[in-house]
Amino acid sequence: MSVPLSQMWAVTAYVLKQKLTGQKRYPLVLMLEPLFRCNLACAGCGKIQYPAQILRKHLSVEQCLKAVDECGAPIVSIPGGEPLMYPEIGPLVEELVTRKKYIYLCTNAILLKEKLEQGVFKPSKYLSFSVHMDGLREEHDEAVCRDGVYDQAVEAIKEALKRGFRVTTNTTLFDGASPLRVRQFFDEMVNLGVEGMMLSPGYSYAKAPDQEHFLRRSKTNDLFSQILSNPKRRWRFNQSPLFLQFLMGKRDYECTPWGNPTYNIFGWQRPCYLLQEGYAESFQDLMTNTRWENYGRKSGNEKCQDCMVHCGFEATAVDETFGSLRGFRDTVAATLTGKL
Amino acid sequence: MSLEGWMPVINDYLSLAEVIDLAFDYRGNTTIIKNDGVDIVGYIFNRNRDVPEPYIQYFDQAGNGPFKLFYSEIQNIKFTGKDTAAGSSWQAWVERKEKEKGERAAPASADSA
Repeated sequence: MSVPLSQMWAVTAYVLKQKLTGQKRYPLVLMLEPLFRCNLACAGCGKIQYPAQILRKHLSVEQCLKAVDECGAPIVSIPGGEPLMYPEIGPLVEELVTRKKYIYLCTNAILLKEKLEQGVFKPSKYLSFSVHMDGLREEHDEAVCRDGVYDQAVEAIKEALKRGFRVTTNTTLFDGASPLRVRQFFDEMVNLGVEGMMLSPGYSYAKAPDQEHFLRRSKTNDLFSQILSNPKRRWRFNQSPLFLQFLMGKRDYECTPWGNPTYNIFGWQRPCYLLQEGYAESFQDLMTNTRWENYGRKSGNEKCQDCMVHCGFEATAVDETFGSLRGFRDTVAATLTGKL
Repeated sequence: MSLEGWMPVINDYLSLAEVIDLAFDYRGNTTIIKNDGVDIVGYIFNRNRDVPEPYIQYFDQAGNGPFKLFYSEIQNIKFTGKDTAAGSSWQAWVERKEKEKGERAAPASADSA
């Protein structure tokens, strides 16, 4: 694991506080979507299919900060859409840094070099660019349906690292991914010098253009076992090792849909980042009036049966780390030995 | 199957609540026909029937909103806007890549012949 100590401590203190105050349901990462507009149309993405007037809209910085304060999560992930197309991204990040929120700015990096050269961002331990990379050049360009994006992203990563920014990668894997190529991809990212990598299987968005390549649960376990068995010591993952073990089929977790609540121009999305079953007007409304028992594998909800995505299960893994001696011991062991 | 262009008929077999659910799931603009005869074109992003007075929320065609309308004010909803989730961008990409691969392979086959 390659999360900086200060961030680890902030999350630890936050989770322990929730436990000590008896909070059964608490958010870990706020998924803040300031806009749906994007400069790519990826095959597996179901986030950007809206009429023009919706794609033109975006949240104000004030709306974003109100959501951040309401939610209280120590980590704010900014996906979208493409957040670098958000005209107020610089001021938003600055405000979040002032609030000591750990930010993962999830970007395809097409605009990153330009924004860095314009001085939109300042390096901070609170800010990490989480660059979307779905594999080596051929796989990534195919996933984003455009040639040349991999090279642009690599160039932007180098530029960000040169300027002292934290850089991580986020990778979504689909059916047909080659374990060997993914391992080569990890080597490439480590060679570039990224702080850590994040992995997740794709979720079968009903609105995504490609409906054929989403992984089912057993295939997810097979794929991630092949990729992560015998991991190289130099690979660094910016996520819980217990979550990675879950992807490999070594742990059986239930979803924590409230762990990564999502806020966007429509409000607080019910129940989670992936399903859109309605919107709540406040965070409190989301937490108290969502029928959580209708979601997760045990609920029998068919939309949840094959889902193993990080936004539902990483919070479960973190909760286990701080909720049981075994979880804590296993996390420490995996972190120290690098074995999964 | 896309609902683009559908003009539902509310009757014993299809309730307004069902049409609203479909409109909520639809990724395009719809035309909301109100009981007072006024038509509104917009994007329905939310509906809530777990409250005493069920309602929908929408942004109009110019992006203004969000506005709220009670179910009791709605007569019908037509699926008049383009279904943005029915696009074929990915299929077009796959076909183009296949064609490129074919063109790259063709000269090589000609050379070997």
